[in-house]
Amino acid sequence: MNRQVVEIAGRRLSLANLDKVLYPAFGVTKAHILDYYRRIAEVMLPHLKDRALTLKRYPDGVDREFFFEKRCPSHRPAWTETAELLQDDGEPMTVCLVNDLATLIWVANLASLELHVPLARAASTETPDAMVFDLDPGEGADILACARVALVLREIISRLGLVSFVKTSGQKGLHIYVPLNLPGTTFEATSTFSKAVAVTLQKNYPDLVTAKMAKEQRTGRVFINWSQNDAAKTMVCVYSLRAREKPVVSFPLSWEELENLAGKGDRERFQVGHEEAVRRAEKEGDLFREVLTKRQRLPHL
Amino acid sequence: MAAQGIWSGTISFSLVAIPVQLVRAVTPGRVSFRLLHSTDYSPLARRMLCPKEDAMIPPEEIIRGYEIGPDHYIPVTDEELESVTPERSRTIEIVEFIDMEEVDPVYFDRPYYLVPTKGGEKAYRLLAEVLHRTNRAGLARFVLAEREYLVAVASREGALALTTLHYSEDVLPDRDVVPKEGKVAAEEKRRMKGDIEKMTTEFAPDKYADARRVGILELLKRKAKEQAPVEAPAVAAEEGEGPPDLMAALEAAMRDVKKDR
Repeated sequence: MNRQVVEIAGRRLSLANLDKVLYPAFGVTKAHILDYYRRIAEVMLPHLKDRALTLKRYPDGVDREFFFEKRCPSHRPAWTETAELLQDDGEPMTVCLVNDLATLIWVANLASLELHVPLARAASTETPDAMVFDLDPGEGADILACARVALVLREIISRLGLVSFVKTSGQKGLHIYVPLNLPGTTFEATSTFSKAVAVTLQKNYPDLVTAKMAKEQRTGRVFINWSQNDAAKTMVCVYSLRAREKPVVSFPLSWEELENLAGKGDRERFQVGHEEAVRRAEKEGDLFREVLTKRQRLPHL
Repeated sequence: MAAQGIWSGTISFSLVAIPVQLVRAVTPGRVSFRLLHSTDYSPLARRMLCPKEDAMIPPEEIIRGYEIGPDHYIPVTDEELESVTPERSRTIEIVEFIDMEEVDPVYFDRPYYLVPTKGGEKAYRLLAEVLHRTNRAGLARFVLAEREYLVAVASREGALALTTLHYSEDVLPDRDVVPKEGKVAAEEKRRMKGDIEKMTTEFAPDKYADARRVGILELLKRKAKEQAPVEAPAVAAEEGEGPPDLMAALEAAMRDVKKDR
C-alpha cells in the first residue's frame, strides 16, 4: 500500500492509495478527489460545520460496492471533532463534525466521495436551519422538467415572502433550499409547509408534478420530495461529489442561470464537473452562502 | 477521541475563577439496536396509546401525572416543572473541601474530566497540583441538564476530575443487608487471609472486557461481510393537505403566477 504523510494546518495525516482510480471511466484518482476537496474547502466547509456527517464510502471506486457510515470511525485522528447524538433508545452515537480542512481531507481519504448532512446542526438536532424541496424526476421526466417545476416553486414561495436558493443534486434532480436560521423552527413546521407547497403544485400541474412517494405516481412527473424535512434525513452537501460515472458535483446555480439553462434545453449543461466547480467557485464565490445566514419565518402556520 | 465539552463555564472558590469545559470520562458501552418490523424492515415508531379510547394520542394531549395511589394522580404541567427547575449553572462554586478518603465509594455516580479553556491553564494546574498534594476534593453544587448535582472536584493524574455524587437520601441504608456479627475461628481467618494473599495482584482493568459486547460486535462485523444490510421501505406520503390558511395563500400565489406567465 502506498502511504504518504502530509501536514495540513499543523495536523499530520497519513493518506493511502493516492493513485487508486475511483472514477474509472474518467481516470480520476484518489489524489484528484483529495485535491478537489482541498480546493473547494473554503466554500464547502461552512455548509458542513457542526453537522453530523454521514459518510458514503466507495473504497473500490464508483462502480463497486459502497457503504454508508453514520458513526464516526473509531480509528479517527485525535483532533477530529465529534458530537454525541442520542438515538431512539437513549444510547449516544458518536458522529464526525467536518469543521476544518484536515478533517475534510481525512474523510475524503476514506473514499467518502459523497458527504451527506442533516438540515439541523448536531447541537440542536430538532431545529432545521433551512427548509428543502428535493425535486426528483421520475421515469420519463428529466432535469429540464425539474427546472420548470423549480422556477414555478420559487415564484410561489417568493410571493409568500420567502427567498430560496437552488443547487443541482449532481444526479438528475434539483434541490431548493429556503433559509430559515431562526431558533424555534421545527421539522414539523418545515414538513407541513413544504408538503402544502408540493400538494398545491401537484393540484395545479397534475401532469408535471407529484407530491406522492409511490413510484407509479412519479412516471413522467417530477416528484417534490418534501419529506426530506425530517430530523432523521440527510441531504447531499452542496459541493459534494456524487458517485456517478462522471465526477459531478452538487453545485449551486443562480436563478437566472437556471432560467437560462431551462430555456436552452440542454440537459448536460446542468451537470457541473469537479474541475468546473473549482473554477466557478473561485470566480463567483459561494452562491449558497445566504442559506446559512438569511433569517426567514414561515408564514401562515 | 477529541474532547467534546458537554458544558463550559468556570470553577471557582474564594478569589479563584478558572474557565473550564466538562468532558465525559466514560461512555456507556452498550451496543444499541433499532427495532424493525420483521416482514418489511420498517423502523418502528413509539406511539402513546390511550387504552380507554384505544387510540393513539398526539403529543399536545399528553401531560404528566404523579401517581399517589391506584388510578389517582396529581397532574403536573411543563410550566410547573420548569418553575421548580434550577437554572443551568454557569459556575461550579466550591463551597467546602473534604478529604477524598472519607467518601464512601457508594456515593460516586458519574466521572467527568474538567479541561482548562483559554486563559485558565495556569490556575488550573495550580489547583490540580494542590488538590493532589493534599488529597483534598472540593464540594460544589452544580446544575447540569436540569438536575442539580452534588459534585466532588479532585485531582486525577495531573488533571481535575469531577464526579457527580449521589445524595445521601438516595443511598440505601445497609443495616438490612449486612448480616449480624458473629464469632469466627482464628484458624479459618488465617487460612482465608492466606488464600486472598495468594490471589492478590495489581488492578489491571484491561484484562477484562464485556464478553457479550465483544461477541455482539464480532457478530455484526461477520454479518456485515456476509450479507448486504436490509433496507427499510420508503414511507408513502400521508394524505391531507395543510393548514387552511396556508393552502389559501398558496392557491392565491398560484393564481398570480399563472396570470403572469
